[in-house]
Amino acid sequence: MRTENPNEEGFDDPTSPATGLAAVADVAVRTKDVWKIYAQESEDVEAVRGVSLEVREGDFMTMAGPSGSGKTTLLNMLGGLTRPTSGRIWVGDLEITTLSNKELARLRLESIGFVFQAFNLLPVLSALENAEFSLLLRGVPTEERHRRVRALFDEIGLEGLEDRRPGKLSGGQQQRVAVARAVVGEPTLVLADEPTANLDSHTSDALLDVMERLNQEHGTTFLFSTHDPRVMERARRRVSLVDGQIESDER
Amino acid sequence: MMRTPTLFRLAARGVLREARRSLLTASAMALGLALLMFTRSLADGGHEDWINVGVRMGSGHVLFQAPGYRESRSLDDRLSGKQVGAVLATLGALEGPLAPLATTIRLSTNGLASSASSALPVVIAGVNPETEASFSHAAERIIRGRYLERDDRLAAYVGTGLVERLGLSLGSRFVLTAQSTDGEIQGQLVRVVGVFRTGLPEVDEGVVHIPISTARSWLGAAEAATTVGAILPASGVVSEVVEVVRSDVGADDIRVLSWREAYPELDTALRIDDYGDYVFLGILFVIVALAVLNTVLMAVLHRKREFGVLQALGLTPAETGLVVFAEGLLLTALAGVVGMIAGATLTWVFFRNGLDFSAFMTEKMTFGGIVIDPVIVPEFRMVQVLQSFFSIAVVGIIASIYPAYHATRIDVGEALKFE
Repeated sequence: MRTENPNEEGFDDPTSPATGLAAVADVAVRTKDVWKIYAQESEDVEAVRGVSLEVREGDFMTMAGPSGSGKTTLLNMLGGLTRPTSGRIWVGDLEITTLSNKELARLRLESIGFVFQAFNLLPVLSALENAEFSLLLRGVPTEERHRRVRALFDEIGLEGLEDRRPGKLSGGQQQRVAVARAVVGEPTLVLADEPTANLDSHTSDALLDVMERLNQEHGTTFLFSTHDPRVMERARRRVSLVDGQIESDER
Repeated sequence: MMRTPTLFRLAARGVLREARRSLLTASAMALGLALLMFTRSLADGGHEDWINVGVRMGSGHVLFQAPGYRESRSLDDRLSGKQVGAVLATLGALEGPLAPLATTIRLSTNGLASSASSALPVVIAGVNPETEASFSHAAERIIRGRYLERDDRLAAYVGTGLVERLGLSLGSRFVLTAQSTDGEIQGQLVRVVGVFRTGLPEVDEGVVHIPISTARSWLGAAEAATTVGAILPASGVVSEVVEVVRSDVGADDIRVLSWREAYPELDTALRIDDYGDYVFLGILFVIVALAVLNTVLMAVLHRKREFGVLQALGLTPAETGLVVFAEGLLLTALAGVVGMIAGATLTWVFFRNGLDFSAFMTEKMTFGGIVIDPVIVPEFRMVQVLQSFFSIAVVGIIASIYPAYHATRIDVGEALKFE
């Protein structure tokens, strides 16, 4: 599944250093001329139009833009949830656009964490079971799973809520469980799709504190799709999308 | 495969989460299974009863005759005394569940029954009064007088129809006329000692029992018989017995017939009834399948995002399908256990003494050449219970395949969209 180094192809990437394998080793995710076109009855919709982007490991980055700008579609493609119509995507140095569904599932399990706007916790599992789910799928022993999740819960203020089902948790608590679920497996990349959209400002700030701390202390890469100014304020890099294209890229 | 327990745990939680819907579906399936068990037990019990009545009114589950007798009904095609002895020895050698409950030796021929006022064609059956009583339960149908006894010589046991048509009464004398073994037409005076009623006009008007000793001496067929019959413990062992006895006596110019071959009209009646049952069961299966399909498919549609999340977290599409399939399996298993208990309770506890349909039968009902007993006793067999469970399980499994397939095909990106 390993492919040639994307930088050796010499494509025009405004965010990457001109050369250097060392730099490539620091790349969490990279795209080259990615398009996503949805076939509709009346006319095709170009949700993402030729995006080339590189996200470094340890980045805390936002993709902002109005509704319909292609943020979520791009995020889903980076996470291997949606296949691009054309173009190439690498996670680390692994090209994911050629992977089978099964290989993509394995990639998501081992290398990518997701945080969704609607929390998307599994309602039939407790907070602890939700958070440990990816570890469970990886075959990590029970004791080790519980130890890691409890440590994380203590860190993000969820201690004592392990046995509660999502329906018994507040929105902020649910989203923190979702963050714990996303980072507990120490993925290369955490993709967060409007994680604060359903939270009040106080809860949003608390959640961002958690994610920022995880980013700084554990080096976890976060890529947010958002139009929440509070998230953008904290980002060290801000990409703006308009009509499926990158309009600006600020550090 | 290592994740399979996790997937089943997810499935179990999914079933429990939608408790009301799961319960309704499982109830529909359990009810279907219970009804299936009950109707099949009832059908099996009814059929066994029909067969039992049929073979007792006829000549048994297994019949031994000379080749050609079945077509000619002539005394020329009869079993010799030696052949009768061989057949009885073979039957006597059967053991355990194959051992006959009763055997009979008959010398039967077509003839004429005449009184001073009229004459009717009849089947004259020379029977052994002692063995025949336990064989055909003839005494149970007596309405006047008695059945034949060992020392009877010129006695006749006749049906009500014959009594009416010939103007006879208990103690009346009438003449039987038939062709003897030497080709001569011979008459025999007999006296009515008992009158029976089966409900079948052709039997009540057309059958006369006389002692076999009288028939043999009258017709010149000493030691001979036209039919040796055996009543077996159950119809289920007939083919095994036929196979055994055919290898024993089949080579000695003795024809072995099972009841299906001997009474094709009864066999056909049972097959027609079975066909009706199969149609009913088919409808039942479709209803159960739709119930499962509806629940599991609705679960997939309602929980599309949940399945999208599972795939986002690392489950493969096939594993997501397996979760859905496992939900169908668990529902089926739950319904299977409950249904078997309900079916057994319904059949065994409430109706073990039979279901009485006599209120719906104003007069004796006949079907396939037999009189139907208005009380049907369900026959409860473990193999039938397992077959019913297996049938419902297959239906549940098949009905879960499409929703599972549907779950493997969901577009994760679409499924995760906030609603």
